[in-house]
Amino acid sequence: MSNTITEQTVNIRTISDGARPFEVVAILVKRSMMRVRRMPSAFIPSLVMPVFQLIAFSGAFGFAVTSLGIKNALDWYVPLNAMQGASFGALGVSFGLINDMQTGFFDRILMAPTPRWVTVVSSLAAAVVRCVVPITFVVIVGYIGGMNTPGGFMAIVCVAIASIAIAVVAAGFALGLTFRMRNLGAATLTQFAIFFTIFLSTSQVPLSAMSGWLRGVARINPMTNILRFARQGFLGDVTWEQSWGGIIAMAVLLILTFIYAMTGIKKFDQ
Amino acid sequence: MSVSIADPKMMASSSSARSLLRHTFVLTRRSVVGRLRQPAVLAPAFIFPLFFAALGSASFNKLASDPYFTANIATSFMNYAVAGAVLQGVLFGSTSAAGDLATDIEQGFFERLLASPISRTAIVLGRLAASMVVAVVQVVIFMAIFVVAGARIESGPIGFIGLIGGGALLALAMSAMMAGLAIKSGSPEVVQGAFPLVFVLMFLSSAFFPRHYMKGWYRTVADWNPLSHIVEGMQGFMNHELSASQFAKSWLIPFVLAVIGIAFALRALNNRLAAS
Repeated sequence: MSNTITEQTVNIRTISDGARPFEVVAILVKRSMMRVRRMPSAFIPSLVMPVFQLIAFSGAFGFAVTSLGIKNALDWYVPLNAMQGASFGALGVSFGLINDMQTGFFDRILMAPTPRWVTVVSSLAAAVVRCVVPITFVVIVGYIGGMNTPGGFMAIVCVAIASIAIAVVAAGFALGLTFRMRNLGAATLTQFAIFFTIFLSTSQVPLSAMSGWLRGVARINPMTNILRFARQGFLGDVTWEQSWGGIIAMAVLLILTFIYAMTGIKKFDQ
Repeated sequence: MSVSIADPKMMASSSSARSLLRHTFVLTRRSVVGRLRQPAVLAPAFIFPLFFAALGSASFNKLASDPYFTANIATSFMNYAVAGAVLQGVLFGSTSAAGDLATDIEQGFFERLLASPISRTAIVLGRLAASMVVAVVQVVIFMAIFVVAGARIESGPIGFIGLIGGGALLALAMSAMMAGLAIKSGSPEVVQGAFPLVFVLMFLSSAFFPRHYMKGWYRTVADWNPLSHIVEGMQGFMNHELSASQFAKSWLIPFVLAVIGIAFALRALNNRLAAS
């Protein structure tokens, strides 16, 4: 008897008030993780590629950074590849959304009694959850390879914050683009945008080692500040001077990409 | 003399060789036109190598202040990066060409070719020749861009021909191996899935950075990687006086790989024909 009453209460709340937004976010994140579990072939490259790039960059370009006084090439490349691995989740977000659009599932989400921001936030939250594994994997490989963390635990905190921020920014951009384009071209363009933004910064060598056009581009690229924030604990102590530029860059990019995603879903509605 | 003209075996052989050439030419043209009609597929083979070369020359140009680099490797990092870009572009292009062959198989066009009165060998050779044509165009375009950007071919016009020949032979070798895979599997996904392996081989070579500066196991792998020697032969054309070793590295190694690749592709074709 009491069970029946409880069920009725739940049903009444759902119908009259709509589902609680964060419950819906949690359910959609869980659904996204189920997709990762059921299609590991789509997730494994985002796990393997950053680790391979870490090995390739530190093996091939190691001399270019160690000759500048950096103790171990991994100290320079672990934060970069952790961030890259985190950004790959954006492609999963884009592919998943396109798949939902093609199968009609996305229309059902739109018809659900939840605010539009829930759809955007759930995809961003899924990108955050997805990025945890590649970041952890890259950091573990870095430790095995003998990377230094003079900044202590804060070094890991900084790289985690920067990677999660990049995962959210990339996913927000992917969502905005996918809502507008509604085809697989959005995923490809997202990939290009992430790739060029990351590489046209201090991804491979410090600003002081660069010459010509790249130095000018890297100087104004917000990714340079974010990489500086992420790397500081691997190259020395974590300080406010090395942090504030990255924090501002992350905050601005997060706001801009969230707005881009939200305006995208509104355009999709129209 | 009259005997040789009237000899039906010779006539048949001459006629089949001529038809093989004619069919190969027609299928090469079809393949090249098909590739030109898909600029989105061809674009990465141009954009990424040029981007990486530009990035490398701006990032690692200070390496040129190392006396060892300037004396033994290259005059500038851009001059060094040219060969890596050629290698990368050719490998990208050849993989996507083999992907087209697999698409033909998947969509049934390959079966129609088999049913038509054309040489079976020409079906494979046409694709391979098309890869070589695209590679030649690619190398010429790359060289034009690099020369405008300030690169110099130290070995002169023969070195330029050496680079083009090396690119074409590498395209032949790579597309033959990938074509074998395409015929064997009949799936574009399998061909694309094999590309990361090529990507790994490229990074584990001296395509992007000189072997001299690598250390440990990475250096050992790069020393054994044939791509290192092919690309160093090409770098030789760009940065040193002409020498036989440049041809040996950038022509002979891809040629041997091409022979193995073509044998693999033709064997895969025979197996497919036998199975069908």
